Amino acid sequence: MATDKELADFLKNVEKRAFKRTAYTVRNDDAALDIVQDSMIRLSQKYADRPPAELPLVFQRILSNATMDWFRRQKVRNALFVNLSDFEGADDEGGDFDLLELLDTSGARTSTENAADSVGRQQTLQLIDDQVQQLPTRQREAFLLRYWEELDVAETASVMGCSEGSVKTHCSRAVHALAKALRTKGVTL
Amino acid sequence: MNQTSTSILAQRSAEAAQARIALRLTAALTEHQSLGNHPDIDARLRFAREQALAVARQAHSNVAVAPAAIGRAGGAAVLGGGPEGTPWWLRLGSLLPLAVLLAGLVLIDSHYTRSQIEAAAEVDAAILSDDLPPEAYRDQGFVEFLKTARP
Repeated sequence: MATDKELADFLKNVEKRAFKRTAYTVRNDDAALDIVQDSMIRLSQKYADRPPAELPLVFQRILSNATMDWFRRQKVRNALFVNLSDFEGADDEGGDFDLLELLDTSGARTSTENAADSVGRQQTLQLIDDQVQQLPTRQREAFLLRYWEELDVAETASVMGCSEGSVKTHCSRAVHALAKALRTKGVTL
Repeated sequence: MNQTSTSILAQRSAEAAQARIALRLTAALTEHQSLGNHPDIDARLRFAREQALAVARQAHSNVAVAPAAIGRAGGAAVLGGGPEGTPWWLRLGSLLPLAVLLAGLVLIDSHYTRSQIEAAAEVDAAILSDDLPPEAYRDQGFVEFLKTARP
């Protein structure tokens, strides 16, 4: 059973990423904050007695369900059908595109950077953020859960309610799409 | 065989490259998030976290208080307790409405059957005790006579 401190630490650690992930999906900061708050309260109310190791998976599942609930409420409110699969793009895997071309192989970055470097770096980070935002919803979900939340493939599949093969496919497509988009804009990592 | 191992190696190499890119991208996202200055969002997230923790504390205290309350209630808790704390006669008593319902259904069924038998017996008795022999009702002409003779 998670102690108060373990629960507090977990929530503090996950809250910003949870907000960002939700904001990517709902594209509304206020709604994302509400969803994250609701998810935190649901976790504390019903699952605070779980061992700390189980909290990340349970929380991500609650957050995904809360986000879907938000979309359902929006659908009722706006009488507008939002089918997440509509956001799926065509097969955008980059054929023989080599992922490693994106990596900066010029050696380690210098530890000191001037103001221009700093601004450039911030622009790159913003560009990456924008590209993640533009990914199809399921690809972005898989990518963020798998690599940002560091869930394994099985856990990601469980949160997304799909097969492990689908998770691998979504992740691969997401990484390829991001790499391709960033390379087009001349960004290396 | 050699071709298979080569393709497996190539696949693993591609997965490793994908993981490397993905980790650099997520590191960039984390860095971008930490650079961003959003005091209102941070404040709201902190408030949400504090609320959630308060709810968790409340849930913990409810769980802790419940057994103590049952203990203090003593014998009275037996009535509101679960199946383990309920005496056998009380559990048997809960079956009483079901037994009454079944008995009622059986009574209604027997009463209905009996009334049907009595009605049939009355008709039979009337036919048999009449001056007219029962065979007369088989005669089509007599039946026709009965129909037309009625006012």
